[in-house]
Parts: sequence; structure tokens; C-alpha cells
Amino acid sequence: MKKRSFMLLASLMLVLSVFLAACNGDDSADGGKDKDKGKDKGKDNEKTEQGSGENAADIDFPLSVSNDAEAMEDGEMTVAMVAGEPFEGTLNRNFYSGTYDAEILSFFDEGLLDTDGDYLITNEGAATYELSEDNKTLTLKIKDGVKWHDGEPVKTSDLLYSYQLLGHPDYAGNRYDFMIENVVGMPEYHEGKTKEISGIEIIDDQEMKFTFTEATPSILSGFWSYATPRHHVGDIMTGETTIKDLESSDKIRVNPIGFGPYKIDKIVPGESVLYSRNDDYWRGKPALKSIVQKVVSPATIVESIKKGDVDIATIPADQYETVKDVDNIELLAQVDYAYTYIGFKQGKWDAAKKENVTDPDAKMASKELRQAMWYAMDNATIGEKLYHGLRFPATSLIIPVFESFHDKSVEGRMFDPEKAKQLLDDAGFEDKDGDGFREDQNGEKLVINFASMSGGETAEPIAKAYMQNWADIGLKVELVDGRLHDFNAFYDMVENDDPKIDIYQGAWGTGSDPDPSGLYGRTASFNYTRYTSEKNDELLKAGTSEKAFDLEYRKDIYNQWQELMYEDVPVAPTVYRYALEAANKRVVNYSIEPGTESDRYKWGVAE
Amino acid sequence: MVKFILRRMLVMIPQLFLLSLIIFVLAKQMPGDAVTGAFMGNPNVTPEQVEKIREQYGLNDPWYVQYGAWVGKAVKGDLGQSYTHKQPVTSLLAGRVANTITLSLFVLIVSYAVAIPLGIIAGRWSDTWVDKLIVTYNYFSFATPLFVFALLMLFVFGFILGWFPTGGSVDIRIESGTFAQFMSKLHHLVLPGLSGALLATFGTIQYLRNDIIDTKLKDFVKTARSKGVPEGKVYTRHILRNSLLPIAAFLGYEITGLIGGSIFLETIFSYPGLGQLFIQSITGRDFTVVTAIVMISGAAVIVGTMLSDVILSAIDPRIRIE
Repeated sequence: MKKRSFMLLASLMLVLSVFLAACNGDDSADGGKDKDKGKDKGKDNEKTEQGSGENAADIDFPLSVSNDAEAMEDGEMTVAMVAGEPFEGTLNRNFYSGTYDAEILSFFDEGLLDTDGDYLITNEGAATYELSEDNKTLTLKIKDGVKWHDGEPVKTSDLLYSYQLLGHPDYAGNRYDFMIENVVGMPEYHEGKTKEISGIEIIDDQEMKFTFTEATPSILSGFWSYATPRHHVGDIMTGETTIKDLESSDKIRVNPIGFGPYKIDKIVPGESVLYSRNDDYWRGKPALKSIVQKVVSPATIVESIKKGDVDIATIPADQYETVKDVDNIELLAQVDYAYTYIGFKQGKWDAAKKENVTDPDAKMASKELRQAMWYAMDNATIGEKLYHGLRFPATSLIIPVFESFHDKSVEGRMFDPEKAKQLLDDAGFEDKDGDGFREDQNGEKLVINFASMSGGETAEPIAKAYMQNWADIGLKVELVDGRLHDFNAFYDMVENDDPKIDIYQGAWGTGSDPDPSGLYGRTASFNYTRYTSEKNDELLKAGTSEKAFDLEYRKDIYNQWQELMYEDVPVAPTVYRYALEAANKRVVNYSIEPGTESDRYKWGVAE
Repeated sequence: MVKFILRRMLVMIPQLFLLSLIIFVLAKQMPGDAVTGAFMGNPNVTPEQVEKIREQYGLNDPWYVQYGAWVGKAVKGDLGQSYTHKQPVTSLLAGRVANTITLSLFVLIVSYAVAIPLGIIAGRWSDTWVDKLIVTYNYFSFATPLFVFALLMLFVFGFILGWFPTGGSVDIRIESGTFAQFMSKLHHLVLPGLSGALLATFGTIQYLRNDIIDTKLKDFVKTARSKGVPEGKVYTRHILRNSLLPIAAFLGYEITGLIGGSIFLETIFSYPGLGQLFIQSITGRDFTVVTAIVMISGAAVIVGTMLSDVILSAIDPRIRIE
């Protein structure tokens, strides 16, 4: 009998393990950097930014719904969270990590400072700011009448509380970063040496001062202005609660409050959220009486929106063909804050020195080889065939969404196998033994090992297509271990510079700061290719220097940097992507234009 | 009997212990951990920060240290902290277990409610057109993959006919604790439940039909008939009593199969339960949750088989486990 139960157990586990391989798309690498920041108004009904000229896809989507009817009184809207799994429900800005939690947060919570289309902070939000002459002190003033959902005023000590949480020695989330550490006195507080953060000064309930160690334009896009309702969640500074208790407390999981346009009425864990109107919202009375937000599986989202079960939903790229002819909806899209790329491993991370060390003898050390591999990739066809035109060839490492910083003159390397072959010939990569594949410059066999992530229907065909592209120019490229790897396994290898990998396909979410030093700097651990150069160091430093508060100067620096990346090819950007959304035709005042986030309270439905 | 049950319970302890050890070691063998890739979105986080978090969660300790710490807490009922969900695993599971049990029970009850009458009909009127119809359905249910069938059900009854909700476990607009909410939960349960139940009937129908056909020819049935017992009574009194009991004995095994099936159902119907959580936790390398769920499923299997043994030995005097 005992034997039997183990057999059953074994077969049960076998059934369960079937799922191990099936759940990660390359999209999960996009990260969840706060895309949900406040925005300024206007620019409605503009068309989607089309990337750079002829390289962009020829799809033209609006950014806002066209229905301009009056929003009906006391309407209700249903918003889909398109997810294959339940949301996590950590509903606090300091602690959440899932993108679905971020979607919920954006309905009931907002930053004190708004940001504009370039993600630079403005004075349009619930607070205003002023930067001192030396750009090192930021004075923040909360406007009158900004109240938490329970009626308490939002105080400066609530924003201080966020910093006290993020910097706390016990904090184990992912938001203690450079921008937090840049506050004077934060490192000491973080190490537990003091209970005061000397760089934050409270003047009164509505005014406070932040002093920074380093003056950098990143303050303007990376300043953390999310307050935490200290009176509601409990105070870790007085010992009323601890970080660990706070993270799992009902105050942020069951009945969280914010000062956003809608209040949370009820949460069915992992499944749905019911919001009601916050009549005291500081910008004015929100249009809808209530909102239901619920998880809908990507497999059924098109049917749901067709049937009218949901009013607004993001549409996975592979569903585009089925959704484009649905007639009760309107499709909106904008270029997403992300790009996919092929990385060329050129060195190792030196853990002792905490910096990247480029190895001049690495297999991928030849610049011509990297350039040729970029020329060889037929990204336009991949975007067209596998993503129905929703992805299109990328040109530079600063995405077109950053209008002021994306260098349109960098055209990228479009599919040109002849040029690729020429480059390889000139650099001495020739087929000496006649097997159809090129040997390296010393005449040794050249096999390039390619790591790519599993997940999604397109992962495998894309990897195969690139390998075929490279084979066509005479490069032998093989998959690491002969297969694709799941998300964690993949990044485990890439992060640890597994010698099995020469090149890999990854994706980056770009966040809201155009500064690329976190991904490509000498001391950036995320610089997975381990590419370094003096010129690169110089430019990245200049891009965040005090001088760079001057927009024109910063623009010029980043143009130079994009040129350098185009020339050196530490990574070859492959595709930019459209983020597709569907809105029922009864939806009004809805827009996905960057800079319109704070108009959320105007969203409505017409009958 | 009490002694037997107690002994079975005692055997369970090393079984669970061994299971936890295997699961723990296997889980740790997976490349990467909960922190891997978790910072992809924020390039401003330094490697020291990431290391510090690994340290705080004890992810850098050797596996036996982690296992020791885990067991130490587990015996006290503390299954650890989920990294992804940032809350104790016990409270995380509590919310999900209820949904999975409800769904599984529904599937179990409905599948019996369908399978037992069908099995009896097919057995009693074997080789008639009714029987052939039932057998056809039975092989169809055996051969159809659950996820295909569930999607079909969803589209037909959820989207085309619109009779049932297409996702979730309850309508959030309805006030908690009311009768209306109960009905809403039931309404949400029907579609996933039926999808699971209609395919779970195979074993029961097949067994019941064959057993009845077998028993029909037994001497005691012939004797009863020759004594002039009416045909209806022959079935209820003599045949069914014999054939139904073993079905009850398989109840335990049925339970174990339900957990595997619930993963598909929960995913397709966006029904937040253990199955979905399990998948999420494996891909996110949230080991504490993975281990806890495997332990729960393992315990369910062990308890289920024990239940079967107990029922079996209770109803069949020939099986007496010493």
C-alpha cells in the first residue's frame, strides 16, 4: 500500500511539473519600473509616435479614444487586468513588486509630484517643488486640500515616512536605490547608525526640504514622491509595527488607502478589486461612480472585450489578429518603454572591484563581428510575421518614447546580409576549411553559443530565425544546452557570466529616466555584456552631471552616446514594441498618451 | 481499526518528512532564486543591495541550513515568508486553499452524481443503445484533454450562450456574507466544476458498469431471481450493494487526482486557488511557497490513500491490515 501511495505521489508531481516550462515569456524581462507616474495634460488625440521614419511599422493607432460624448452620471467601468495568474496584492508603493499591483495602485494612490511627457517632474501635482540654485536642495510644498481617503490631510511626515521605510535596515524590497541613497544622511540611516535622516527637513505639515549629496538631473525624473499614510498603516519608528508586519498587514493588503481619485471598497484576493469614487479628490470629482477591476486570462480577453464584459484591456500582441476586427471596440497603442536586444558577452563582473572588466580576447571581442551579426538579423520580417507588425526594428538604445533624447539620426543596422558578409571578410573571418561556416581571425573553428528565454509561442521561432540569419552569413550559432531556458535559469546564467554563453537575447524596460548608466556603466552590475570603454564612461558621467540640467547639453551628450553604442555594439537592439490596448466604444476621456495619467479621474463611460 | 488508523498516521510522519526533504533539495536545484531577475526593472539598485536581500532571506546559506531552519519553523506551523507575496505562507495559502477545496469538492460530488447513475444504467441495460451511448461518452471523456474541454465549455456556455461568468470566483459587487453572495459563488463554480466533473467520470462509470455486468451473472443473483424477487429489487438489494462499495473505497484516490486537475481549471477560469499559486511560485522561484504547496498536496495524497485503505478494510472483511 505504501508503495502505491508513493507512485501516486510521483505521478502527481509529474503532472505538476509539466508547468515548469510553460510560463515565462520574454516579456517578463521588461521589468516593472514605475510607468505609472503622474503626467501633464493636453496632447489628446495625437497619433502614436512612429519611431524613426521608414523603419517604423506602418500601423497607425490613436492614443486616445475618439468618443467625445459627455460622460454619463454615476457610470461604472470594468477594467481588465490581463494576467494568467492572480495579482499579489501588496498594495503599497514601497513594497509592491508585481506589475498588476501597480495597476491597482494607480487607481487609488498617486505621487505628490506630477511628471510630464518626458517624465520630468512638474508643479501640476498635489505638491509643488522648487530646486535650489546649486540643484542640491529640493523644497516641496503640499497643496491645500490634499486628503487621504479617511479624511486626514496628507502631511510632509507621510512622505518622510516613505523614506524612513525605504532606507530602513530591514527593508528588503527593490526600491532602495541610488535616488534614495542620494539623500544626505541616508547611507548612515540605512546602516542603522542613526534614526534621523539628516537630509530631510520638515518645516511644517505642508512644507519640507530634501538635500542631496550629488546634483544630478536624475532628480527631476527619479525623485520619490509617494507618501505613505503613517497614521493608517502604523509607525515603524515608534515601534508600533515592524517592516515585516507592515508588508503583510491588512492595512496594505485588505483596506489600503491613498489620496487618488478612487477608493478601494473591497478586494477579492488575487481576483478583483472594487473602487468607489473619492468625492474629496483634490483635482475634482471623478467621473465614474465605481470601477471594477478584475483578472482576465490572456486566452479569453478578446472574447471578454467583444462581449462587453470589460471596457478597457491590454491586448497581448499575439491576439492582435483576432481583435482587430471586433467592432464594439477601439484599439489604442503606443510604443512601449522597452526594447529587445542581443547582448554580446565581452568580459566578466569583478565582484571584488565591483566593476565590469572587458576581456580583449573574448570570443565576441571583434567589433566587426558584432556589427555583422546586427546587419544579419531580419528584424523587420520577425516583427511583421511573428508580431503582426506590432514590433518593428529598433535603431538605438534610447527608445523613441523619450522624444527629447532619442537620436533620430541613428538609423540602426537594417537587414543587410551582403554588408554583413563584407564586414566579416574584411575582418578576417573566413571559411578556411570549406564546411560553409567561417573560422575566426586565427583560423580556429568559431561556434557562437546563444542563450535565449523560453515562454510564449514566439520564443522558439525567433531564436531559430536569428540562428538561420547568422548561418546565412556563415556564422555557426548554437543554442546553449541545445534548448531555451526559463526566465530565472536564463538570468541566473547571464548574471553570473556563465562561460557557456557568448550571446543572449534579453529585453529591458527602460523606466522613466533616460540615463543609461544603470545598464551600460562600468560599475553597473546589469551591464551583462561587461562592455566598457573610456569614452562610454565619459559620456555617461557627463549625462548626469550638473551641467546636464541644461536640456540641450544633455541631449547632445546622449546623441553622442547613441552614436558610440551604434559603433561599438555592446548589444544590438532588435525590436521596439507597441503596447496595444482595447477600449469599448462607450469609454470617454481615456488616453494612454504619456503625460495624461493624472486625467484618470476624467475617465468615464457614455451611454 | 483505531489502531490501524493510528499506525497509518504514524507512518505518515516519516513519509512527509522524506517528501519535504526531496522537495526542498529539488527546489534548491533549480537555477536562480526569488531574487534573480527581481530587480530587472530598477537598474539603480546596486549588487550589494541584492546581496543584502539574499542575506536577509537566508538564500545564501547552504541547503541543509535552510532546510533545518525551515523544518524548525514548519513543525511550529510557520511555513516561512513568501518573497514574492511579502506575507507569511500560511496566510497566503489560507486564502487559496478554500477555493481549491470548494472547487475540488464540487467536481467530486458532481462527477459522482453523473457517473453513478450512468454506470448503473449502462450496467443494467448493457449492450442496448443507451449503454452504447454511455460508453461512447465515457471514452470521449477519457480521451479529451481537460484544458481543451474546459476552454470549449467556457466559450460555449460562458461567451456564446452567456449563462455563466467566465472568470473569477465571485461577483465583487455583491455584499459579503449574504445569500446572494453564496449564490454568486455557486454560479461561478458551475462552469469550472462541470468541466472538471464531466471528464472525471471515466473510472467510476467503467468500474461500475463492468462490475454490474459481472455481478448480474453471479449465482446469488440468479438465486434471487429464481426466487421471484422483482427485477428492480434484484438490482437495488443485491447487485448495487456489492458494486457500489468499492467505488466508495476509491474516494481517497479520487481526491488525489483532483488536485492535479484543479491547476488546469484554475488557470483557464482565472479561479485563484492553489494550482495557480503553484505555477506562479515555481516560475518566480518562491521556494517557501512551492515547498508548502507540495507538502499540502503530498499530505492530501497520503491522507487520501489512507482513507481508501480504511474504507476498503471496513467494507471488505477479506482485507484486514495488521
